[in-house]
Amino acid sequence: MALPSLTLLGQSLLSGIFIGALYGLLGLGLSLSWGMLRQINLAHFALAFLGAYLTYQLAGAGMDPLATLAVIVPCFFALGALMHWLLARFSVSAFNSLLVTFGLTAIIEALIQWIWTADFRRMESAYGEVKFRVGGLYVALPELLTLAMALALSLAAWAWLRHTYTGKAMRAIAEDAPIAAAFGVDVRGLSLLLSGLCAAFAGVAGLCLALSYTLAPGQIYAWLGVVFAAVMLGGLGNPLGPLVAGIVIGVSEALTMAFTAPAWAPLVSFSLLIVVLLARPGRI
Amino acid sequence: MRGRALAGFAAAGLALSAVPFFGLPAFYESFLYLVLHWIVLAVSWNILSGYSGYFSFGHGAFFGAGMYTTATLATKAGVPFLWTLPAAGLVAAVFGVALGAVVFRLPRLRGELFALLTLAVTFVLATIVLNTSIDGGPGLVLSAVPLPAIGPSPSSTFYLLGLALALATLWIAREIQRSKLGTGLFAIHDDEDVAEVLGVPTYRYKLAAFGVSCGLAGIAGGIQAMFVSYVTVGETFSIAVPLYVVLMSVLGGSRHWFGPAVGAAVVTALLYAFTAGDYAVAGRAAVGLILILVILFLPEGIFGQAVRALERRRVSAAPAIDAADPPAPSAATPGKAEGKTLLEARGLSKAFRGVQALAEVDLEVRRGEILGLVGPNGSGKSTLINLVSGHFRPDSGRILFEGRDLAALQAHRIARTGLARTYQIPRPFAHLSVLENVALPAMFGRDALPRGEAGHEARRWLAFTGLAAKAMSLPGELNLHQRKFLELARALASRPGLLLLDEVFSGLTHAEIDDAIRLIRAIRAQGATIVFVEHVIRAVMELTDRIVVLSYGRVIAEGDPRAVMREPDVVAAYLGKPHA
Amino acid sequence: MPAVNHSVRAAFGALLALALAAHAALAAPSGPPVRIGSTLALTGPLAATGLVHKIVGEIYVEQLNRKDGLLGRPVEWVLKDDQSRPDLARTLYEQLITVDKVDLMMGPYATANILSAMGVAQRYNKVLIHHTFGTPSLAKYDMQFPAGGLAGDPDNTIPKVVFDALAASAKPPKSVAVVTSKFPSVHFISLGAREAAKKRGLREVAFLEWDFGNRDFGPIAARLKDAKPDFVWVGGLGLEGNLLIDAMRKIDYMPPLHFHLFPAPGPLLKAPGGENALAATTFEEHPPFTDNPVAVEFIRLYHERGAKAGLPDTSVENQSAISYSSWQTLEAAVTGAKSIDDKAIAQWLKRNPVDAIVGRLRWDGPFNYIYGSDLYKVKQNQNGKWVVIWPKEFAASGARLITP
Repeated sequence: MALPSLTLLGQSLLSGIFIGALYGLLGLGLSLSWGMLRQINLAHFALAFLGAYLTYQLAGAGMDPLATLAVIVPCFFALGALMHWLLARFSVSAFNSLLVTFGLTAIIEALIQWIWTADFRRMESAYGEVKFRVGGLYVALPELLTLAMALALSLAAWAWLRHTYTGKAMRAIAEDAPIAAAFGVDVRGLSLLLSGLCAAFAGVAGLCLALSYTLAPGQIYAWLGVVFAAVMLGGLGNPLGPLVAGIVIGVSEALTMAFTAPAWAPLVSFSLLIVVLLARPGRI
Repeated sequence: MRGRALAGFAAAGLALSAVPFFGLPAFYESFLYLVLHWIVLAVSWNILSGYSGYFSFGHGAFFGAGMYTTATLATKAGVPFLWTLPAAGLVAAVFGVALGAVVFRLPRLRGELFALLTLAVTFVLATIVLNTSIDGGPGLVLSAVPLPAIGPSPSSTFYLLGLALALATLWIAREIQRSKLGTGLFAIHDDEDVAEVLGVPTYRYKLAAFGVSCGLAGIAGGIQAMFVSYVTVGETFSIAVPLYVVLMSVLGGSRHWFGPAVGAAVVTALLYAFTAGDYAVAGRAAVGLILILVILFLPEGIFGQAVRALERRRVSAAPAIDAADPPAPSAATPGKAEGKTLLEARGLSKAFRGVQALAEVDLEVRRGEILGLVGPNGSGKSTLINLVSGHFRPDSGRILFEGRDLAALQAHRIARTGLARTYQIPRPFAHLSVLENVALPAMFGRDALPRGEAGHEARRWLAFTGLAAKAMSLPGELNLHQRKFLELARALASRPGLLLLDEVFSGLTHAEIDDAIRLIRAIRAQGATIVFVEHVIRAVMELTDRIVVLSYGRVIAEGDPRAVMREPDVVAAYLGKPHA
Repeated sequence: MPAVNHSVRAAFGALLALALAAHAALAAPSGPPVRIGSTLALTGPLAATGLVHKIVGEIYVEQLNRKDGLLGRPVEWVLKDDQSRPDLARTLYEQLITVDKVDLMMGPYATANILSAMGVAQRYNKVLIHHTFGTPSLAKYDMQFPAGGLAGDPDNTIPKVVFDALAASAKPPKSVAVVTSKFPSVHFISLGAREAAKKRGLREVAFLEWDFGNRDFGPIAARLKDAKPDFVWVGGLGLEGNLLIDAMRKIDYMPPLHFHLFPAPGPLLKAPGGENALAATTFEEHPPFTDNPVAVEFIRLYHERGAKAGLPDTSVENQSAISYSSWQTLEAAVTGAKSIDDKAIAQWLKRNPVDAIVGRLRWDGPFNYIYGSDLYKVKQNQNGKWVVIWPKEFAASGARLITP
């Protein structure tokens, strides 16, 4: 076989970055609610797909896919806050939240299947056709949008947690909620806010899924393993972690696929992950 | 107790193995087999992950290792099916132990990092199996492998195999929970460092639990390979196994050996309850809703909640423990050799990220004395305690205890030489009762008492510290004063030769301090040697025979308390330079 | 319901019964129902296709009952949801046989689940008619009858018909890239395609395998772009082919010709970049397939039911057609054997072919498979419609392989 070309290298690298951005975008809300509210939200994936289906539906009714965010984000924010209210009302522990949100996943999955059937759905939009050429490399608009959203949301979450009063208060809650409350932090309100935001992130991730993928209710579980890996590798509650970890996984898989047998890709990325954990038992 | 349980298991086994002979339709046997299959997976997962809190997301990997071992041996090597099962268990167990031997050495790989690692291992194993001659893509077919006729029909054979394995798994899980191994694992769950310092060989215990857990999952995989008779990578290493075992354990209750079995039975039954073709989608939603409602109203799991309710009833029915129990027996071999050196530190140094916490410290503790260790904050007192108890290793220097160098020993071995400590901020095992908290060091201390005796010993020390009435409470229900005394009781229960007390008095009221002083005098009266770190000068003056003053990691004075506290260096260290 | 209405209803019922009795002499089935049991993947990852088979089964059972049922008895379909899981499929088939005591079995959807059902059928000596079994070499049971039109050696027959079609085109490809999922049934047929290409002297410029469930097709697309094959054989299952096409479009590349083994036909038809894609099929909505009035009626009903069920694509193609053919096989066998006894049905099927809407099905080979020939044809997505282009006698009128 001839030496692989530079275009192949560059194009695969880009592909890995973009898929990694999607891992990161899907993982962001999961990581924040797990790390800061101690809620392991399996339903995050179901929410993302619900968002994707809604985008599909609204776009089908003539809305611009990006404009659907104006509808989806507030709705999902309310949904997330409601979910947190329920979990807090029954003071559900971290592991129990896993079970509750699994139940919720099943319900959302059934709802999706009931409304849109189990058959495949594909959103048709003008965005899907747009791509840019940079040198010999191509960048498709949906992927660029995914990367931009992942970057923007991760950085915004980071800046919020680091530089604003409410963000710092949020971190205080994550450290020790009773003490934060004793210092006058509105624990309940801020927790509702964060849960709402996490669900809204799921909605945005849903938009990106709808832009790039064909949808089916069974796909909800397809992303679970790798996104969980990115979240844990990135460090729970770290807003930049899932994106960085996602891109590391995505790029290492893409490069393996570009230069060796593609079927070996998971071996390389996850062996790498194991070695990183063993050699330096910290996070990225 | 064990005899009765064994009889119970045998009776249950006999009764249940009669099921195939009632002439039930085969479906029920297959359905029950699947229930038993999930019971084995959930209960075996729980042995490591539920008991010790090391949350594995890789149970599918070990299950899959067993599946592929049986499939490979039976189809490619012609090994009879039943003989492949021990091999399936062994391969999975060896795989688990090998992984654990690396992972458990790295103390930071806990919590979600352990979960991540085990998840990653699953992906890696799946990829290897898919791309090598183990599978290679097409899957392995076991249709032609002869199934031994254990029961009257194939379905009953699977049912009986599943039953045997499920009973064995439950028995093992029960025995582990009730053994020292189980106690150690539950302690690791709450606070692994403290468990190690109290004498629990945490590394070996985790490894043992992981090996057993993986081995059982491997055998379950072996049987399942034959049951589905078509083994593919996609079905085997899917996310379903790790996800379902977690859900089942949480649903049933993961703090009791039987909890996951209940969860497994409920979840499997739910999956079957809604398979009617016309309502498949609604059924899925119903399963979700039921799971949510159950866990919201039974947060400790179905079985966990039942056990908790039962325990409460039993406690309220139990007679109150007599607070005027006979005084506790000697905490240490009474001082034949009073005055001789018991512990000796030579040239002890320790730095943290460049900050020298201890520098060339020499120190001597004599048998039978109370040595006060004083000094301002950050002077190295707690570091010294942490080095002696094995929490940290010194950068250089030696610590000789009864002639043995502790610096080379692991913390749990140090505990077994007869050394015990308390923590300044109490670190009880949050999910163990007060009694269990105190019984643990008795089991893992110098005398390594058997479980039953450790309980008696613990009750004596609880009476001694005035906590007898709280024996069945959880530590969270105690106030600070009581928690400090719990720390003391826990340290004493190991019958230590040397007791290291780290700021027992801080945060207590005057009256409580008086109480504590009386208690320490009583301990001392029984001949124990005590080193205690303290800020409350009143207590130091009243209790100590000798004091050592530390400042910036160095010993600046030692000797009679009253004389030393008047030395200008000491005064300066405490109060800064005296004003004119 | 108020009591007054009871007598009214009773009277009406009696009248109806009378009318029915009169009619029965002509057609209406009577007596205890013949119960047919099956599971389908109604939820879980395979549910998209499971739904197609559910709709077809409902249509067929209704058609049966509107005629004279099976042997004059009404037909009842006992359908369960195997949730796309083989272990569940196995246990549910046992339930169907030992608890629900169904008279006949119909296969579930997809290879692994069918294999599970086959094991149960074998233990209870039941006939199993099935439609979507991808690995014939695993079917080692004497009373299983594939009605999906696949040969016993699809790794030979399918590549043959595809490469024949290509060879007969205006611009036959000279180089080929074989890319495939490592999903069991798809994988070995793709390996067969490799062999076939080699024998016909095509230059293999790439051979790539990926793990089923792979999400990132960018690098594979980039490698194909580098390799510049005249023809790409895509051994993709379900959406994998779509993902690959998307990935290729993103880097502004499309191979001149590409064939998809078992795609999700609806999405591939509508996908940008899916134009001129090739796929294997047994049936499409055009003559000569629609020369059969049974097929025409089925197409009409399927459009109606599909729309009612909310399917985005209601046209009849491979999946729905082989599903219908399986039911036709069951009816023909029961009618022909004049019995619902499994042995009699099996014997009849081994001796008699069935003319189904996908063509003539027969089972006189080893393990009821025919080697060397099958009912699969090559279709192409032309102007947003699937049309068969090879073999010529099945091609839509005037349709030829479009080569760019």
